[in-house]
Amino acid sequence: MIELSNTVLVSFLVLLITTALLLIVQKNSANIIPGHKVTNRDPTFIIAGPSGSGKTSLFNMLTTDTFKPTVMSQVPNVAEDYMLPSITKSFKFKLLEFPGHVKLRYRLFDALKESTSLKGLIFVVDSTVDPQKLTETAEFLYDILALTERFPEGVGIMIACNKSESFSARPPLKIREALEKEIGKHIERKAKSLSAVNKAGGVSGENNEDESGAASLEFQSGRQFTFDALDGNVDAIEGSVLKSQIEKWECWIDERSVN
Amino acid sequence: MIDQFVVFTPSGQVLYNFSSQSKRFAEVQVNKVVSQLITNGARKDEGSHKYTTLKFDQFAGMCSIRNSPAIVFLSIYAAQDIEQTREAEQILDLGTKLWDSLGLNQAVEQNTSKQRAHKNQHNFTWILQNCDVQIAKFDEYFKVKIDAIKAGKPKGKEVRTKSGPQLAKSAKNSSANGKSRKWGRDGIMEDNSTPGDMSSLDFSTEGTPELTPSNVIKVDKDAFGTRTDKGEFLIKEIDELLSKNKGVSAKKANSSTGAFAFLQKHLLGNKSIVQDDLTTILQKLKQQLIAKNVAPEAADHLASRVSQNLIGTTTANWTSVENTARESLQQALTEILTPGVSVDLLREIQQKTWSSGKKTPYVFSVVGVNGVGKSTNLSKLAFWLLQNNFRVLIVACDTFRSGAVEQLRVHVENLAQLTDESHTRGSRNRRGKTGNDFVELFEAGYGGSDLVTKIAKQAIKYASDQSFDIVLMDTAGRRHNDPTLMSPLKPFADQAKPDKIIMVGEALVGTDSVQQAQNFNAAFGKERNLDFFIISKCDTVGEMLGTMVNMVYATGIPILFIGVGQTYTDLRTLSVEWAVDTLMS
Repeated sequence: MIELSNTVLVSFLVLLITTALLLIVQKNSANIIPGHKVTNRDPTFIIAGPSGSGKTSLFNMLTTDTFKPTVMSQVPNVAEDYMLPSITKSFKFKLLEFPGHVKLRYRLFDALKESTSLKGLIFVVDSTVDPQKLTETAEFLYDILALTERFPEGVGIMIACNKSESFSARPPLKIREALEKEIGKHIERKAKSLSAVNKAGGVSGENNEDESGAASLEFQSGRQFTFDALDGNVDAIEGSVLKSQIEKWECWIDERSVN
Repeated sequence: MIDQFVVFTPSGQVLYNFSSQSKRFAEVQVNKVVSQLITNGARKDEGSHKYTTLKFDQFAGMCSIRNSPAIVFLSIYAAQDIEQTREAEQILDLGTKLWDSLGLNQAVEQNTSKQRAHKNQHNFTWILQNCDVQIAKFDEYFKVKIDAIKAGKPKGKEVRTKSGPQLAKSAKNSSANGKSRKWGRDGIMEDNSTPGDMSSLDFSTEGTPELTPSNVIKVDKDAFGTRTDKGEFLIKEIDELLSKNKGVSAKKANSSTGAFAFLQKHLLGNKSIVQDDLTTILQKLKQQLIAKNVAPEAADHLASRVSQNLIGTTTANWTSVENTARESLQQALTEILTPGVSVDLLREIQQKTWSSGKKTPYVFSVVGVNGVGKSTNLSKLAFWLLQNNFRVLIVACDTFRSGAVEQLRVHVENLAQLTDESHTRGSRNRRGKTGNDFVELFEAGYGGSDLVTKIAKQAIKYASDQSFDIVLMDTAGRRHNDPTLMSPLKPFADQAKPDKIIMVGEALVGTDSVQQAQNFNAAFGKERNLDFFIISKCDTVGEMLGTMVNMVYATGIPILFIGVGQTYTDLRTLSVEWAVDTLMS
């Protein structure tokens, strides 16, 4: 009798262990199946921006304090447990830098969707570009805003106006203004554009996740889009990676990371 | 001579760069190459080279892409004749071998791995941390060898006599291997570059291990003889290094087998992927894609892209190889379908029509095979533009098929009625044309192909006189593999100069769509390409959206709209996410 119960016990134990193992495996592998997202829970700062604005250079400057030559990126740069020496307490965060190529922007958008603790986003722009030609940059920023505004308090965004050492650099306020205006125009156009397809095989639904984020942006703007109407702050600060004048940017990161 | 030699990582970090004539490092060219790599992927179409070659107007780039660690070696050279290409290949050979020999791979791997030793104040390890010595060595060796290759060209004879023993050595080796491709076209040995070449031969032939030590001894002897020449001495040192390395790399290739490997592959993850793991999985995924109407050619390309991205990498923890491959395929599909340029028609229309003081119309022309829905989608497009308060002129450039003009007239009547309810069908507007003030039909009957361009030019003039915003030109459907039908397209595009040429392709067509897209794209000559695709009849295929992939794969031109039904409102922009999910399900 005792022996029998022993075998029963052992078999139960084996059963328990195997089910537990199976569950763990399933749970972990489920993340990889398309549709299920791996969430990034670490406090994160993201560097993004159009191609050729100096994102990778900034990343290098932040991580190694030196200027290094770079070429167009194809994959994101990651610095886990990054530390700014200026911060008194040892606050560590993840620093991500995404490629600016149009075809690779989906990676940034995915990361924005998957992160839960976004501390801030550094949107690097080339301040030597004519404000008239910022349309595409503005559209890119709009796409980012549509995602970051889904966070309850928004995400702080810094428009890092790089290359301020150049004589043709525009002042950051002017760039911010131009971007604001272009986003306003883009929203107007977007309202007139055709909607995208979705799985239902036809009309784009309003319950679509991305769509609702974009819709909230339009709702808030009402008549004219302004950055001030957003949940997250949008600051435009000048700097230059080439001349290693990035103290202001570091200060900004510093401020964000404290709270 | 090559212009540049660059070693960089996919994340954009330049590890080493060399520019000839000590010019400044020019990112522009490298960026062009990278951009091309992103948009088109590394297509190995020319079987003659072992490296991927990309050609541009001013230069060509040849690159070797590696995955573990992820590094790209790229050499950029000016002209495109065979001599240059071979030289670029030699330099790539040399660069990659030197890189391996100096142990830089291990250093990079260590710096990028999780348990790295040296962290700076930012808690970060630069990818080339503590590699200064090796990089300096690499630079020194590389420059010496480059000089040698350079010198080998103009004064081949002199160098030949100088390095006689070497020549004999390589001759011996080449006879042993039975290969003679190291000889220049002029019969003179490309001697200084041959050691690099030769070690590549040694790599491929495993039957000559006993040759290696004797080589080294020989080289040493040579070194004694030519020690006076510093450069020459260095070359021997480098050769020695290169030949030493191959023993190491040969040892490395061993794979674990048995139960643990099986577990790693299917359950545990953390397995480094080799070709064998992927073959069956990719076969399966390819079949799945082909079942979704993706052309085998496009499926092959996607599969090769996946294997290129994965071989040599390690899977994540608790991830099977299959899931990793699926994910990679999903990424590849997303990258293919995402437009490479931002597409905002309304912006462009606004810019053009209002930029100059005088109003100039924005001209679209629609092309495609017979019966794909050119007129229907043109009308849908017109409806959308009309809703945005543009004045639209529809031009009947299909002068071949009987009833084509009448068909457009019906569309114009419909659209006129939709914009203005008081419009009576069949009535003429104040200019005596079909339609009303917002939408109008421009027609000039039926005739030959010269009539088409005439109509087009007249219509554009008429549109700017009458201050229309948009001109939409319908063209005759044509079979894409019939040159006599396709040839009128080029003069048409040259004369009418449409702002956007849109090709309509139907989702039903399947494998032939690759050819269709390619031929139509080529029909406008070298200067002009198609601008967009409209994929029609997407409602009729369910999940078999392969045609989209085919057309974009074949040309790299983005899909603007897709047609999803019969009514004027059934035109949608493409959602890449939706398309990829549908294809992968």
